[in-house]
Amino acid sequence: MLTYILRRLGAGLLLLAIVTMVTFWIFYVLPRWAGVTPEGMAAMYVGKAPTPEALAATVERLGLDQPIAGQFYDFIRTLLLGTEYTFGRQTVECAAPCLGYSFSTNTPVLEQIVSRLPVTMSLAAGAAVIWVVGGVAVGVLSAVKKGSIFDRIAMSLALVGVSLPIYFTGLLSLAFLVHNWNLFPVPRYVPLTEDPIAWVQVMILPWVTLAFLHAAQYARQTRAGMLETLGEDYIRTARAKGLSERRVIFKHALRPTLTPIVTIFGLDLGLVLGGAILTETTFSLNGIGKYAIDAIVSKDLPVILGVTLMGAFFIVLCNLIVDLLYPVVDPRVRIAK
Amino acid sequence: MAGHGGSDNRSLRQIAWQRLKRDKVAMVSGVVVALLILAAILAPLLTKWFGYPPTEYHQDLVDPSTRLPFKDPENPYDEFGYAITDPWGGISSDHWLGVEPTTGRDLLSRLLHGAQISLLVAFLSTLVCVGLGTVLGIIAGYKGGWVDTLISRAMDIFLAFPLMLFAIALVGVIPDGLLGLTGNGLRIGVIVFIIGFFNWPYIARIVRGQTLSLREREFVEAARSLGAGNRHILVKEILPNLITPILVYSTLLIPTNILFEAALSFLGVGINPPTPSWGKMLSEAIPFYQNGPYFVVFPGLAIFITVLAFNLFGDGLRDAFDPKTSD
Amino acid sequence: MRKRTLGFVALGAAASIFLSACGGGDSTGGDGGGEGAGFNAAENSVVNASDQTGGTLRYAIQDDFDSVDPGDTYYGFSWNFSRYYARTLLAYNPEPGENATDLVPDTAAGMPEPNEDFTEWTVEIKEGLKYEDGSEITAQDIKYGIIRGDFNGGSLVHGPSYFAQKLDADPDFNVYESSDPLGEFDAIETPDDHTLVFHLKESFSEFPNILIMPQTAPVPVDADTGALYQQHVMSSGPYKFDGDYEPGVKLHLVRNEEWDAESDPIRTALPDRVEVEIGVNQDEIDERLVNGELDVDLGGTGVGPAMHSRLAGDESERPNIDNLYSGALRYVNIHTPVIEDVACRQAIMYAANRDSMHRAWGGELGGDIATNLIPPQIPGSDPESDLYPSEDNKGDLDSAREKLEECGEEDGFETVIAAREGREKDVDTAEALQNALAEVGIEASIELYPASDFYGQYAGSQDFVRENNIGLSVSGWIPDWPTGYGFAQAITDGRAIVETGNYNMAELDDPEINELWDRSMQTEDPDERADIYAKIDTLVMEQAAILPVIFDRAMFYRSPELTNVYFQPGYAMYDYMALGVDRG
Repeated sequence: MLTYILRRLGAGLLLLAIVTMVTFWIFYVLPRWAGVTPEGMAAMYVGKAPTPEALAATVERLGLDQPIAGQFYDFIRTLLLGTEYTFGRQTVECAAPCLGYSFSTNTPVLEQIVSRLPVTMSLAAGAAVIWVVGGVAVGVLSAVKKGSIFDRIAMSLALVGVSLPIYFTGLLSLAFLVHNWNLFPVPRYVPLTEDPIAWVQVMILPWVTLAFLHAAQYARQTRAGMLETLGEDYIRTARAKGLSERRVIFKHALRPTLTPIVTIFGLDLGLVLGGAILTETTFSLNGIGKYAIDAIVSKDLPVILGVTLMGAFFIVLCNLIVDLLYPVVDPRVRIAK
Repeated sequence: MAGHGGSDNRSLRQIAWQRLKRDKVAMVSGVVVALLILAAILAPLLTKWFGYPPTEYHQDLVDPSTRLPFKDPENPYDEFGYAITDPWGGISSDHWLGVEPTTGRDLLSRLLHGAQISLLVAFLSTLVCVGLGTVLGIIAGYKGGWVDTLISRAMDIFLAFPLMLFAIALVGVIPDGLLGLTGNGLRIGVIVFIIGFFNWPYIARIVRGQTLSLREREFVEAARSLGAGNRHILVKEILPNLITPILVYSTLLIPTNILFEAALSFLGVGINPPTPSWGKMLSEAIPFYQNGPYFVVFPGLAIFITVLAFNLFGDGLRDAFDPKTSD
Repeated sequence: MRKRTLGFVALGAAASIFLSACGGGDSTGGDGGGEGAGFNAAENSVVNASDQTGGTLRYAIQDDFDSVDPGDTYYGFSWNFSRYYARTLLAYNPEPGENATDLVPDTAAGMPEPNEDFTEWTVEIKEGLKYEDGSEITAQDIKYGIIRGDFNGGSLVHGPSYFAQKLDADPDFNVYESSDPLGEFDAIETPDDHTLVFHLKESFSEFPNILIMPQTAPVPVDADTGALYQQHVMSSGPYKFDGDYEPGVKLHLVRNEEWDAESDPIRTALPDRVEVEIGVNQDEIDERLVNGELDVDLGGTGVGPAMHSRLAGDESERPNIDNLYSGALRYVNIHTPVIEDVACRQAIMYAANRDSMHRAWGGELGGDIATNLIPPQIPGSDPESDLYPSEDNKGDLDSAREKLEECGEEDGFETVIAAREGREKDVDTAEALQNALAEVGIEASIELYPASDFYGQYAGSQDFVRENNIGLSVSGWIPDWPTGYGFAQAITDGRAIVETGNYNMAELDDPEINELWDRSMQTEDPDERADIYAKIDTLVMEQAAILPVIFDRAMFYRSPELTNVYFQPGYAMYDYMALGVDRG
């Protein structure tokens, strides 16, 4: 068991390393290949009318004229060992793990990400609960009541859910439910610890918008999986043995149905924790996704690297947890060699 | 999901086809899909014969201040001098779906040409996805061992990448003239590459799973015992049995890719004007949702109907080949 | 075209004028909610005048400040807003209407005095001014604030570089590497604690205009932490930071007890708190404004296209709208190195369909079709001047074709129009232009580039422009200060051309124009300067380096709960220093 976890962690670290390298390549190397000069890159981080001196100084300060390997090495070393930065006449220490300072705002990246984490986590957690519980429940019910009105309506709605762009439903719900009909408050994030009721009120609309798409997918998939399981021989045996339908469903059919769902959930949750970009942008929520988009637009390289790393970290983490939970969900599964 | 053997294959297909024919919903959506594809291909001809070019301005039909089309271009203003605008876009016998705000371009024409882009991008990227995914999936499933582990790890890595972020970043960074492509051709190429290149694990996983189970089947054993080489087995025995799941999942992948391209256009990294794209039209339309809802509804419907049709047809295909999951 | 008075006369009277406008005139305090004061009411009068104090003034903005450090910022809204916590040497006259852009002393005790040839300027500062911690503000602090802004070895790179350009100092001087920055920098002298003497490289008759910039805010040497200073700026104004500035998230201000209201002619400091929410979608901001959930859109460029369209068609909202000049010229650069023959460029000027491009900006409400370079509120501007007239402004295709023959391209040619991604109006302008040019055989393809790098790497990069055949680029320009020089020098002077980050994108380098710019800086009389600017305007049009599109207007929604709202053309938005709230 322990070796399994260690091996997975090792694989996870390798994954993080590769993701970092590819991200680095895209944002630092590719522009060079496209012929962008260090001054051209520096022009991104200076104001509207920089003097040539300011431009040159920026190139040097941010290390934009260093060879790529050198920049990458600096990044890794800073990440593992921390470093010091000079501002004006004073030096500030950035303790390991240090993701550097933002090129645009000169604030420590890790600190900024951590401060935005609660928003994204609130969004992800709330939506995840809704879509898993809702999606699976609807899927199970639809499968059990196959062909009924409930089934048809539910599956039609699910189809709509996977067929509409998320920003579309988000923007329309914002326009009508918040501004026109005043059914929901303006989405200004309130921390859970500050005012739980307001927190829920603000987050409900983003939760539902984000969850709608996933719930639809999960409903469809649960239904399909459940139907397939229900057709298996051992289910027929259980029924023949005289077990109540409810026992058949919940004790015997549900678990194997859930196995693929759990896999997907791990991936989906990891992705959403890394920042639900479209939802955060639509509702003006200051989470990691929004931070990422702003960073890409302003080519704020340390932030981009930091956010990508954080996103990959969550995906690895969630996948690991999911894999560990497999035996709980389906006792037939043993942790493989 | 797989066939029961090489020789049974054709009869399974016939059975599935029968089932499909009986599924009315699937047949209707199949027809819709076919019509959409046809419309997209024929878009330039259609607009030349019946309508207006997608880039032709008709600004006399549009109010400059509110940017919306007039209800009645003959009497555009009320007694206070305010424009009387049409929430339905100035639908007329000339312009069946009305005209766009600000420019007055014919909406139907732009939707048709937008279909070209959406479907082109979706099909090409699905092709890349399926191509890569199938090849890698088969190799992983058939060879097993360290090859399998390597490819499976690679799948994990690709799934860990934030696709949206990369799409936005790459579009901004790819140099003009790469591989001889410029302008919109380059844009399309980049988007196709990103969607296809980062999504292959979805297909690969399924293919791998199928290959794994097929590998142990009797007909493969039989072929092997007759002295057939690996390549023969792969091509003649395994691949034909993979076609159905590949087909089904491709059909389900296309709508996802259509939505993804729309999202990219929405975020501003899509095709350059004046070429129309559904996602871009939708994002341009949202500001007018109150006074000119037509501009949101029509592109929204276009996306929705297309995606829905593909989804329904894909569902139908899947159900036809595997009745356990159908109605 | 108003005649400007010699704005350099001490206008201490401005303070009393403002205060009297507050007391008399419109309704005082009391009825905060209620009907709007009237369309464009804030242009020439103070709307909802009141001296009621208290409450929290709520701002929101979509894109973050470039910096809240007064020494490191270059946006109008930021210059306007930073006055809450940063007092400058001079400031704009807080009186709506014609005299709004006159200069008045803020930390200065009087207007600066020049020497004979405008190369040396002396200014006194008021006594007894204090920071938020009670320590006194001295001339040395102001000197330090100025030099750290422009001579910092790359630590602060966002601000304007006028001081670096104009002061007679070594451009490589770095305050952070010098052990005695005040002592070693002698382009600014401080003969005593309340006097400053500026030494300029060359004559610059409009020097006082630079002294309104936030870089002249005092900064104590010991408090300066370089790029980190913006986390908590040492306030010299009526408000100070409440907690740190959180980039991308928020900035909150509370009262600064040490501020002396008597010494301050431009700030009323009515609210108890000021809160800025950062990163809210423009459409969301507009909705909140109209619903009363927000008081001011900090960005100060008006409502977005969604709300604009709604308000434009809604008669009942007219009284709450101010649709005023943004001070900008929107235009298309015609890149001279790419389209070399002036006749070819003139063909473009003739072929352009100005009416169609006008519609891209919203027609009548959107602004005025521009046929010359300098915006109408600036002395020297002649909006009637049109060197390329056409019927209904729809373009003169015949003359265009003649010009094409003249330059040897009678079948037209191919070129590229560059525009900023996400700027819908710019893109619409490009499309309209593309459409029009196609009529005479000029095939223009449109390329969109990220707005943030547009000047740095794309249309403002000399190499990129040549390599990609960019003949046209859609751009806009706002004056740094409201004179011809403050507006047009950076975009038409040959000496302003740089390799990347270039704003003279047409790369116009005409010796006659360059010489006229120099002459204007040696001219004392503002009216004579205005004549020079008018000449430059005509020459630029003759060279067909710039195709003017529109002097656009921005539509502001004026919340009925705001008090003392008036439009300050110097910033092209409401004067934030005057605002108060009345939730009654």
